[in-house]
Amino acid sequence: MIALIAVLHVVSSIQTLGSLAKEVGGDRIEVESLAKGYQDPHFVEAKPNLMLVLNRADLLVYVGLELEIGWLPPLVLGSRNPKIQVGEPGNLDCSQQIPVLDVPTVRVTRAMGDIHPLGNPHYWLPPQNARIIAREIEERLVLLDPDGRAAYQKNLAAFEARVARKEKEWGGIAAKLRGMKIATYHKSWTYLSQWLGMEEIGYVEPKPGIPPDPQHLVRLIAAMKEEGARLLLMENFYNKSVASLVAEKAGAKLLVLPTDVRAEPSITDWVTLVEAVLKQLAAAA
Amino acid sequence: MILLALCLLAQSQADQELQKQLEKAIQADQQQTQQGQPANPPAPPAAVTGSTGTVPQTLMRGAQSLNPDISAILDATMGWQRRAPQFLNGDDPNLHGDTAHALGFTAQEVEVAASAVVDPYFKGEVYLTIANLSGLEVEEAFATSTSLPWNLQVKAGSFRSAFGRQNGQHLHVQDFTRRPLINAAFLGDDGLRGPGAQVSWLAPLPFFLTFYAEALSVSNAPASIDGPLPEPVKSFGANVAQRPTLTAEAKFFLPFGEEWSLYGGLNFASGESPGLSVASGGTMGAGRQTQLFGADVYVKWKPANVAQTYGSVAFQAEVVVRHLAAGDGLADDWDGGAYGQAVVQFARRWFVGARGDLIGLPASSVTARTARGAVDLTFQGSEFMRIRAYAELEKGNISFADQSVGMLLPAVQPSWAPALFFQLEISIGAHGAHPF
Repeated sequence: MIALIAVLHVVSSIQTLGSLAKEVGGDRIEVESLAKGYQDPHFVEAKPNLMLVLNRADLLVYVGLELEIGWLPPLVLGSRNPKIQVGEPGNLDCSQQIPVLDVPTVRVTRAMGDIHPLGNPHYWLPPQNARIIAREIEERLVLLDPDGRAAYQKNLAAFEARVARKEKEWGGIAAKLRGMKIATYHKSWTYLSQWLGMEEIGYVEPKPGIPPDPQHLVRLIAAMKEEGARLLLMENFYNKSVASLVAEKAGAKLLVLPTDVRAEPSITDWVTLVEAVLKQLAAAA
Repeated sequence: MILLALCLLAQSQADQELQKQLEKAIQADQQQTQQGQPANPPAPPAAVTGSTGTVPQTLMRGAQSLNPDISAILDATMGWQRRAPQFLNGDDPNLHGDTAHALGFTAQEVEVAASAVVDPYFKGEVYLTIANLSGLEVEEAFATSTSLPWNLQVKAGSFRSAFGRQNGQHLHVQDFTRRPLINAAFLGDDGLRGPGAQVSWLAPLPFFLTFYAEALSVSNAPASIDGPLPEPVKSFGANVAQRPTLTAEAKFFLPFGEEWSLYGGLNFASGESPGLSVASGGTMGAGRQTQLFGADVYVKWKPANVAQTYGSVAFQAEVVVRHLAAGDGLADDWDGGAYGQAVVQFARRWFVGARGDLIGLPASSVTARTARGAVDLTFQGSEFMRIRAYAELEKGNISFADQSVGMLLPAVQPSWAPALFFQLEISIGAHGAHPF
């Protein structure tokens, strides 16, 4: 039975998580996102109107691993919404079951840049992680809305089947990319690289969040030439000028890629997001 | 559009500069290689992280702790001033001069902060401060409720009032080395803060509107006029045992598209002034019923992706009008003041700001008209470090409303007071995010 009026109001920190929630929740939930898909999720402004959005939420889904630490906590506190406070069923940190990469193996200090002490939070592109997120959301939706259990389970199964179909479809592209050497702007493509078997040989940022100096770029360009890295990947919310300069000097191609749903108008859900990334990679490989 | 164009121009100049530097560095690198010297090694791998595997998961679990987030923030300042400012805030740099010039260093503020969720009902925050190495104070220590119904929230402990915009902010959130003049002149040299309780309510409207009500046990002594610089007469703090200071505030926020934000507030506070102590002993104006009326506005332009231009502009202004009722030898009086400031981010790590302050508008029997202009340039090396150059020019003692009373207060000498400061601000540890 289709619910005519949404039962739960779900708010996501980034649009991809909202999109995954919608896949599972279907008509039983309505979804709003705090950050827009074309924004850098590290640096969203904690504008008070976002507290109003959270004030109405039954469930908050967020990336976790401290990706949103610079803006989400004051919004949650200011929302005056007991349901979504940390520890409540309406507060879902989607990283809980993710096999986290780039977890520091030495004691972290900020001399390493804006490092995430709990590991790399940019985990939502690989299909295996999308499945984990969707299952986490399904469990939480069932907890909050037990009457919707059947609908959520059915939607989750449909989503997983769709992901499985897409994985087969993407197999050819993945095979083409396997072993390819790349450089990236920020260290946020680790999960994609691991999924596709690409090898990251360097980063435009000398340390996460720290702007590059010429000496670092010279080393990166030399390494890209030596290693034969033909692609430089960058999120579409960064300024292109430095990255395009590096790509030009290294004889590589700069790929400005979306990382979130609605990063571009045509990217409407997780599948179209991943497809947009893969198509560009395949075309450039 | 002009702002955007300026930011883009600054960005493009920075890009050209980087390109030149890069060309030069590549050339030097090639020359080194041709001369048989070792070239730059390849870009280092990310050595601090494990790239794959589940082993790190155990590290994550090991990192779990019930300790609160703990941080320390230092504002180390050096500067020169022709004379001490008349309206010196507690966390302003104090070079300990009076009417003579001063040159030196100070640890303007050391703040130690701890915060954590207390339980399913409260979040707790403690901020200890040592301003100008002059003793440990509790700047704030409070609990905020997280689970009240009907959009209500309670804050209890010792805290900064929600009156206006700058009063609630700690030093490291300020855009300038010194707080605005209205702070010391009307709110108290440490701002309007103290032990008390606050109740706030978020109105269920399509736009953000929150109402606050507070009761604070503020305690202040009568202003001393013994020194070479008259102390500002405090608005509140007399009769602390019987008369808490009461405040009420309303704050609203309106976004205009994704780039423009308007945040404003209307503020009211009521209490008893401790007046001033006079040379003959005794006081004048002690126990006068006092009301503060304030309004503040904050307008910000910042693109959704600041990294595209690294440009943003923020305007901020506050006005405070004070009413002191007749009593203890002084007549009914009104005075007030205001400031306006603009801060422009013109490159990834650079901000420039200007602020104008005016106190004594209107001037009263206890508040002379004082004006100040300030400019600053801030380099934000990282999210955790800032270096700031700050210059100001103050003109004190422009006029008193009532010369007969004004004559009781020593005139500020010299009246023109330039000052220059260099400020280094560092933050270590885990410090919670700040509200908008």
